Amino acid sequence: MNILIIGLSLAAMLFLLSAGLTLIFGMGGIINFAHGSFYMLGAYGGFQVIDSTGSFWLALVLAPLGGAAVGVLVERLALRPVYNREPFVQMLLTFGVILILEEGVRAVWGLDYKDVSAPAVLAAPVHVLGATVSAFRLFLIAFGAAMAALLFLVLEKTPVGTVVRAASADPEMVRALGIDVGLVRTGVFAFGTGLAALAGAVTAPLFPVELGMGFGVIIDCFVVVVIGGLGSIKGAVAASLLLGLVRAGGYGFAPEWVDLLSYCLLIAVLLLRPHGLFGRQRRLA
Amino acid sequence: MTGRTRLIAVTLLVAALAVVLALTGVGAERLLLLNLVLVYAVFAVGYDLAFGVAGLLSLGHAAFFGLGAYLLANLTLRAHWPFEAALLAAGIGGGVLAAAVGGVALRLTGIFFALVTLAFGQLCFILAGNHLRAWTGGLDGISGVPRPVLFGLDFASDRLFLLYTAVVFAILLLVAARLRASPFGQVVAGIRLNPVRIEQLGWRTNRFRVAIFAVSGFYAGIAGALQASLLFFASPQIIEWTTSGDVLIMTVLGGAGTLFGPVVGAAAFELLRDELSRLTDRWYGLLGLVFVLVTIFAPGGIMGGAGRLLRRARP
Repeated sequence: MNILIIGLSLAAMLFLLSAGLTLIFGMGGIINFAHGSFYMLGAYGGFQVIDSTGSFWLALVLAPLGGAAVGVLVERLALRPVYNREPFVQMLLTFGVILILEEGVRAVWGLDYKDVSAPAVLAAPVHVLGATVSAFRLFLIAFGAAMAALLFLVLEKTPVGTVVRAASADPEMVRALGIDVGLVRTGVFAFGTGLAALAGAVTAPLFPVELGMGFGVIIDCFVVVVIGGLGSIKGAVAASLLLGLVRAGGYGFAPEWVDLLSYCLLIAVLLLRPHGLFGRQRRLA
Repeated sequence: MTGRTRLIAVTLLVAALAVVLALTGVGAERLLLLNLVLVYAVFAVGYDLAFGVAGLLSLGHAAFFGLGAYLLANLTLRAHWPFEAALLAAGIGGGVLAAAVGGVALRLTGIFFALVTLAFGQLCFILAGNHLRAWTGGLDGISGVPRPVLFGLDFASDRLFLLYTAVVFAILLLVAARLRASPFGQVVAGIRLNPVRIEQLGWRTNRFRVAIFAVSGFYAGIAGALQASLLFFASPQIIEWTTSGDVLIMTVLGGAGTLFGPVVGAAAFELLRDELSRLTDRWYGLLGLVFVLVTIFAPGGIMGGAGRLLRRARP
């Protein structure tokens, strides 16, 4: 039971992180290496809000807004000037952004790691079906599921979602219809980085908040995004669940081999089905 | 001057400069920096053979670099090989691993190739840190990596070691220059520009890609070995993907696709790191800022920008 809960909560976190990454990729083909840094930014932002106001819930609102604001700056100032160059140039720029964000965080919050505690409501363990589980992890699972449903609804059922999907499929056509594609791109990028920051803030009580916390996470994100299929939200849900459960199960039996296994999985999927295990086409949702 | 004589002249000049600097007044704290510049210049020159010449964006070069470091450490410390033999073995090891990775990953192109190399690199990082502890010393790494002794001359001081790295650097730079100008290099460059046409001309494009990738891995292995010797330490930290990111940044900063660009980039990277860290604690962020600005406003890197300025000055 506990392994299941841990696996699902891990899946929720992986989903929040990789949904943003996969959206950004689906939009402009940008591999955002700085995604992990936005996750870190969100975790520190969450820590700051909780430290000053004492409210975890306020952190869940403010941290993603902060992440999105920084995302707007990055997209407008760094990525926009190079959309017409070779695709790898955008990826290179995100390397530079990593350095800048790490430095920014170090300048504001210093070198020591921060501890964030779970909100009081969720601090006590609860009993489910005869097992004692962490209430915070249950909340995380529900939160992740709700966000997945919301994202899916927005992308599939609203006019905004239609524009986003259309702009990633055929930007020229959408531009011809009088829609500002640049604005859509900025919006999607900011939304994606906001999601990463949200993931950082909501999982801050589970992990130490520290510099460099984004470096390992970004690789996990790539695993999810590639297995799910680049640009696919459905795939991201399925791959997060798969990876989260495999990891939680693996930590119980052979903790040393879990990371190795996920990288092998990544390599195998890339070589055999580069467009992911779920769905062949490259489109959103 | 023709291209080749100019090249040889410049190379000898750089090597001679390093020798002069090594034997004369350079302060002791600068010697380590100059050594690092040369080591990373070897790494970046090799990286650019894959990236600039063949157009292969690799994010797994940290693994070849790290393998070189560990091979040198193990062969000298445990198997008691002579330093030069171990250095060569480090290069060959990097080349063989690169050939293996390339052989598998080169079924893909572009960003998918980059992601496979990234996954291979991280796989090696995990292996070195957690699974091959007997061989890598786990997270502690291996300390006490020796410096070379040649013809009775001990290169233990940074000053003399700079001579050693300068000679290795000069040799490898000349080899890279020959390779670029050779028919082999021309075919590889052609594959970057138009793979279909080269295929139609009867070349097996994938063999050429794997071959240049292996050569690139050889350079990375040598650079990793030299770095371990320079720092007396082989650390698992150097295998993490950020090392691959660093060498990519150096190459692009200096000017990808040119012979001297990666050298200039490596020097600029290390000098900026050193200078900025004297002036301010915020050097890493400033480095990121410089990198972003160069990438946006000077597409050819420092070398490209300098070339444009020269042309403008001389219409």
